[in-house]
Amino acid sequence: MGNCYSDVEGGKQAVGGVQQSPTATNNNAGHNDAVEFFYRSWGLPQHFTRVELSLSAINLRDRDIISKSDPMAVVYAKNIDGKLEELGRTEVILNSLNPTWIEKVIVAFQFEIVQPLVFHVYDVDTKFHNIPVKTLKLKDQDFLGEATCVLSEVLTKQNRSLTLNLCSKIGHVGLRNLGILTIHAEETVASRRVVEMMLHCSYLDNKDIFSISDPFLRISRIVESGGSIPICKTEVVNNNLNPKWKPLCLSMQQFGSKDNPLIIECFDFNSSGKHSLIGKLQKSVADLEKLQEGRSGENLTITSHHGHKKVLKGELFVDQFCEKEQYSFLDYVSCGFELNFMVAVDFTASNGNPQNPDSLHYIDPSGQLNSYQKAIMEVGEVIQFYDSDRRFPAWGFGGKTFDGTISHCFNLNGSAGSFEVEGVEGIMSAYASALHNVTLAGPTLFGQVIKRAAQIASQSISYNNKKYFVLLIITDGVLTDLQETKDALVKASDLPLSILIVGVGGADFGQMEVLDADKGQRLESSTDRVATRDIVQFVPMRDVHGGQISVVQALLEELPGQFLTYMRCRDIKPRPLHEAQVSST
Amino acid sequence: MFSMASSTLEITVISGEDIRNNRKPVKKNAFAVIRTDSQPLCRTEMDKDGGSYPYWNEKHNVEIPQHARFITVEVQCKTSAGDKTLGMARIPVSDFVGGFVPQSYLHFLSYRLRNSNGERNGIINVSVKAKVPEYAASSCSSTATTIGVPFGKTSCYGGVVPGVPVGVPIMKQYYQG
Repeated sequence: MGNCYSDVEGGKQAVGGVQQSPTATNNNAGHNDAVEFFYRSWGLPQHFTRVELSLSAINLRDRDIISKSDPMAVVYAKNIDGKLEELGRTEVILNSLNPTWIEKVIVAFQFEIVQPLVFHVYDVDTKFHNIPVKTLKLKDQDFLGEATCVLSEVLTKQNRSLTLNLCSKIGHVGLRNLGILTIHAEETVASRRVVEMMLHCSYLDNKDIFSISDPFLRISRIVESGGSIPICKTEVVNNNLNPKWKPLCLSMQQFGSKDNPLIIECFDFNSSGKHSLIGKLQKSVADLEKLQEGRSGENLTITSHHGHKKVLKGELFVDQFCEKEQYSFLDYVSCGFELNFMVAVDFTASNGNPQNPDSLHYIDPSGQLNSYQKAIMEVGEVIQFYDSDRRFPAWGFGGKTFDGTISHCFNLNGSAGSFEVEGVEGIMSAYASALHNVTLAGPTLFGQVIKRAAQIASQSISYNNKKYFVLLIITDGVLTDLQETKDALVKASDLPLSILIVGVGGADFGQMEVLDADKGQRLESSTDRVATRDIVQFVPMRDVHGGQISVVQALLEELPGQFLTYMRCRDIKPRPLHEAQVSST
Repeated sequence: MFSMASSTLEITVISGEDIRNNRKPVKKNAFAVIRTDSQPLCRTEMDKDGGSYPYWNEKHNVEIPQHARFITVEVQCKTSAGDKTLGMARIPVSDFVGGFVPQSYLHFLSYRLRNSNGERNGIINVSVKAKVPEYAASSCSSTATTIGVPFGKTSCYGGVVPGVPVGVPIMKQYYQG
C-alpha cells in the first residue's frame, strides 16, 4: 500500500454481522469454513453466493442400439476469452432418455458480472460402474447436445427453473429434436433465521492509563473440540465505560442453535493490536433473549493468572432482541422483484467533437467501444436479466436538440413522447444516432435527470412495489451546480432508486467523490434535509488495459446491498416460496 | 390533499446522531419533542444510556392541522436545571405530502439539527406516514406483499411500541460500523 501505518479506523470496524455483505457466502453456507477459505485462497472474490444447479432432461436422443442412452451432463463456465472451464458434472443414469440427475453442480453466483454457462449432455459408452464420474473421458463418449444460458437468467425465473432446447455443438438445431434440458437453481442456505440485538455495557473497568477504555465486543461460538471460533465483533466505541453498540445481527448459520453457548468478550481496543480483555461471559442466544425480557444485566467475569474467576462490576444488557427471517437478494429476484435500468449520457462540449478520434464520443468504425459504450454495456448487460421487459429509459443531458434549445434531460432516442428503448442494443443505437442529431453544449447538470428518474421510481410504487430502479449516469466532467444535484439526491434517497455515476476521460473528479457517501459524509440539501441512505456510487473509468476486474464491477457489487436495505427497512418480503404462485406481474 | 380539518400522521422518532451539549457529547437522558408551530404533539421517553447517539424508535400518532406547513422536532435533555433544548429541525410537510409516491408511503427522513445559536448539532432520523382514512384509500398497496407494515408476529423491542423494522436508520454506514 505504500505507507507504514495501519488503518486503525479499519481495525475498529464491526465485522461478521449478517448485514455486512448481502451476497456473501458467510450468509449462506457458513457451515463449511474450509471451503470458504479454499475459495479465498484461490483468489475468488469475497462476495459470492453458493448456488446449486439441479439438471434434468426430456426426450434425449437414443444412441445405443440395444438399450437406451446412459446420459450424464457436464456444466461449464464460459470465460471472457471464450474458453470453457468445467464446473462439475452429474452422475451417469442408466438407460434413460428422460433423466433427472441427482448430483448437483455448485456454482458461485456473482451479481456484478455476466456468467455464461454451457451445458453438454453425453451418452456414456465406456464402463462407468464404480468409476468416479470425474475420470470419464468426454471425448470417448457420445455427444448428445448442448445448451447455453446466463446464470442470472435461471435465478430470476419465478420458480428458478429454466428450460432450454438442446442443440448440436455447431450451434444450430439439427433436423432432429435433440431434447430439452431443464436447469433448476437453489441458493444453499441452511436457515434464513437471524437474530438482531442491541447490546450495551455499564460500569466497565478502565484499562487505559491516560484515557478511558475503548470497548468492543467479540462473540465466539464454542466448537466440539472445546475451542472457540469468533463469529463477529462490534464496532469500537471510543472513550466510554458505558458503551452502547449499534444493532448486531447474527444468522442462525453463525450461531448454530439458540441453545449453543456463545462466549462474549469485551475488549479495550488498542491500536497496537493487543487489545486488553475487560471481561467476558458465556451465554446462549436463548439466554440473551431472557436477559432482554427480564431487562436485567449479567456481570462480566475475568479469570486471573491463578485461575481464580472474579466477578466484575461491569454488566452486559440486551436492550432489544428480535428474531426474524432474513431473505437474500436471490429470494427477492426469483419472486418477481426487478431491477429497472435507466441511463443518462453526457452531451456537454467538453467531450470533444464526436467526429474527432480524440473525442470521448468518437465511434470507432473498427468496432472498439468508447468509454461511454463500455460503461453502458458493462452495466446494462448485467442488469438486463433482472428487468422483465428490457425497456430502458434513456436520456441525454447538456446537449442542444433539434429545436435549438439546450436540454438537461432529453430522450436519447430522439422521440418526443417515448423515453424508453429496447434492450442494451437499443441504448447503443439511440446513443449513436443521438450523436448525429444533438449538438454538444453544456453545462454539466444532473439535477433534471435525477428528478426524472425519481419521478419514475415514485410513480411505480403505486402500481408495483417490487421494482427497484438503477440510474447510470455517464459523464466526462465536473458538475456545474453541485448543490442542486445534492438537493435532488437527498430527495431521492428515500425512494427505491440507486444511482451509479461513471466518470470518463481525464478530468479531476474529486468533487464527484463527495456525492458518494463511502468517501464522505451523508449528503445534505440546502434546506437542512439529510440523505436517508447512501444511494450514490461513483467510480472514474480510466482506460486501464489488461485489467481483469473492471471498475464498473465494483459499482455493481453494491447494488444488491442497497436493494436489500430498502426492502428490509420497509419490511417488504418476497412472497413465501411454498405458497401457490398466483399469476400476476 | 387532506379533506379534513386535520390529518393524522404516524410519526416514529427513531434516533439521533452526534448530538452535543455545549460542544461536548451528550451523556444521557436525551429525548425528542414533536410540535407544530402552535402546540406540542408528542414526546419520546428519555434514552437513559444513549449518550450522543440516542435511540428511541417510538411510534406516535399525531393530528396536525390542515394548514400546517412544518412540524418541528426538538431534541432536549434533562439536566439538573430543567429541560434543555439541544437542537431543533423543521420538517416541511411537503417532504411527506404530495409528490408522486402514494399517500400512505412510509417516508424515512433525516434532518440536520441546529442549536439555539444556529450551529449544526447532529442529525435526527424519523419516519412519517400519513394515515389515510379507509374510504379515501387509493389503489396503492393492492399487491399481496406488505408495504411498510410493522412486525406483527414476534414481539420485539420489549416495551417499546414496535414500529419501524429493525436496522433503521438505514444508512449503509450503520451496517458497516
